Order: sequence, then C-alpha cells, then structure tokens
Amino acid sequence: MVPDYDVTFIERGDREARFLVRDITPAFANGIRRAMIADVPTLSIDEVRVIENSSVMFDEQIAHRLGLVPLTTPDDYEIGETTTLALDVEGPGTAYSGDMVSQDAQVEPADKNVPIIDLKDPEGSETPQRLEVEADAVYDRGREHAKHQGGVAVGYRHLQTVEVVGDTDEFGEDEPHILRGVIEDDGELVPTEEFDNDLTNRFPGKELVVEDVPNAFVFHVETDGSFTVEELVTQAVDTLHDRASDLKDAVQL
Amino acid sequence: MMVPVRCFTCGNVVGEHWEEFKARAKEGDEDPEAVLDELGVERHCCRRMLVSHKDLVDIVAPYQ
Ligand SMILES: [Zn+2]
Repeated sequence: MVPDYDVTFIERGDREARFLVRDITPAFANGIRRAMIADVPTLSIDEVRVIENSSVMFDEQIAHRLGLVPLTTPDDYEIGETTTLALDVEGPGTAYSGDMVSQDAQVEPADKNVPIIDLKDPEGSETPQRLEVEADAVYDRGREHAKHQGGVAVGYRHLQTVEVVGDTDEFGEDEPHILRGVIEDDGELVPTEEFDNDLTNRFPGKELVVEDVPNAFVFHVETDGSFTVEELVTQAVDTLHDRASDLKDAVQL
Repeated sequence: MMVPVRCFTCGNVVGEHWEEFKARAKEGDEDPEAVLDELGVERHCCRRMLVSHKDLVDIVAPYQ
C-alpha cells in the first residue's frame, strides 16, 4: 500500500544532512518540509519564575533568551507536558545555557555555550549580581511558537541533469554558469560545491542544457540540536502518515 | 547588549559560537571569514549576527 521511496544520502551528519528522494510528487515533498517545520514537537522554555535577577537585563529579556535555547527531546512526552529547569549563577562571570540543571535527566541544553547574561560585581555594591530562575519547558509544536521548531533552514531543490549539446562560441564571452544544488551526471550525484557552483569549471567550453529531474528532490535539513536529522525526518513523515490515516478514518462510511 | 541566541533570519543557534569568535577574530588577529567557516557558521544571515555584534553589558552596568 505504502510505496517504498528511494532515498540516497549525499551528506549525513547528526545536525545537518542532504539527501535525495525519488518518485515523490512536489506536493508530498512540500508536505514533508512543512511537517518538519511545524509538526515535530520539541521542548522549549515557556514560563520562567524569577527568584532573583540583579543583572542588567530585565526579567522578560532573560526569559526570552532562555526560551530560545534548544533543549534535547525526551522520547516519552505528550504535547503540553512540562519539565522544570533551574539556573542559579552569581557574578562575576557569565551565566551560560549549560548552567541550567534539569529535573529530567533526558532533558539538557543542546548547546551549552550560549551566554545568557554577563553578571558583574559592581563597585560599591554589597553583593555581586545574581540570576536565579526556575523555568518550565513545555513540549509543543513549531506551529504553536517558532521556538518549538526543531528544523532550521529546511528546504529542498529539484535534482538536476546537465546535458552537453555542443561547443560554446569560441569568441563568445566567458560567462560563469552558476548553479546550486546537486546534479546527476552519468548516474553520479555531484553537489555543485564540488566545482565551485560554476558549471563552466566542470564542462569548459561546452554548450549546456540544465533540466530538472521530475519528481526527484534533494532535501537539505538542519536541526537546532533538539534531535538528530534522522529523528526529525522520520517523525515528520510519521505525522503525515498519522494525519492521512485520521482523514481516512473520518471519511469512511 | 548580549549576543543574540539565534540568528534573526533562519533560527540557527549562533550564541554558541560568540565567545570563540570574539576571542579569535575580534580580540585576536585571525581572519573573521576563516574563523566563521571553521565554526560552521555558513549562511550570510548567521555570519552577520556575529560580525556586527558588540557586547554592551560593561557599558550599561554602571547605570543600573
Ligand atoms: Zn541565519
């Protein structure tokens, strides 16, 4: 019933990957992209209780910065479920995202080096500046708030083919032929960065015709560290699958 | 005042790289372009977040 899709990885990392998917429609490719952005839930700080903040920033600014810090995603949470993190730092020094201590061992800041606020020990003041907060992180989707988006710069392009149709005019101008993405050349997948995005480097002196390969899309996916690219993509496809089966059940007689 | 946590345009976490970028390219004498490449801050939108940033906490602190 569900056809197998042909997926080839061009680059594969934990947080960044490029892969080619064949035999999907443009609508389905866009569906996956949108699901990656809006439908895959992540944890993000949503409510902050300030116990002490004598820093130079307002409570609201601190809360905003904390909300933007990506947190690792636990695997057994429901939408709307929360967990608590605490931060207690005294100056002089900087409070980092990595100073946050979580109640749940599965949850921790994905990036530990993000400066939240620089705390000073001002002259003439009795105590150094101090930040002590308790924060509730909520598990929700990107469509609720952009801070819940696990995918960053998620997009796709058509796979392209380059056909040599002749030689260029010998006395013509040497203009670069810039192309970005991935081309298929004799069955080999070549990212355009390999020839500095300029086709004249790979096919010097040739007249070229570049064409999109129908129904073949090269996805570029990055995550903010909340989860790996693999988890993001599979969860996005799962949400599409769930919604399709919900629709099927709803329209059944 | 403090370096933005994420890139305004694409949402990539850039705050993570600020201190290293500052030490090597702003206060050090390395080429900012090379440092950003090495840190993996690829897109123009993210690069301008670090290149154009100035820490202001020290300047603001006396007036608090
Ligand atoms: Zn950016």
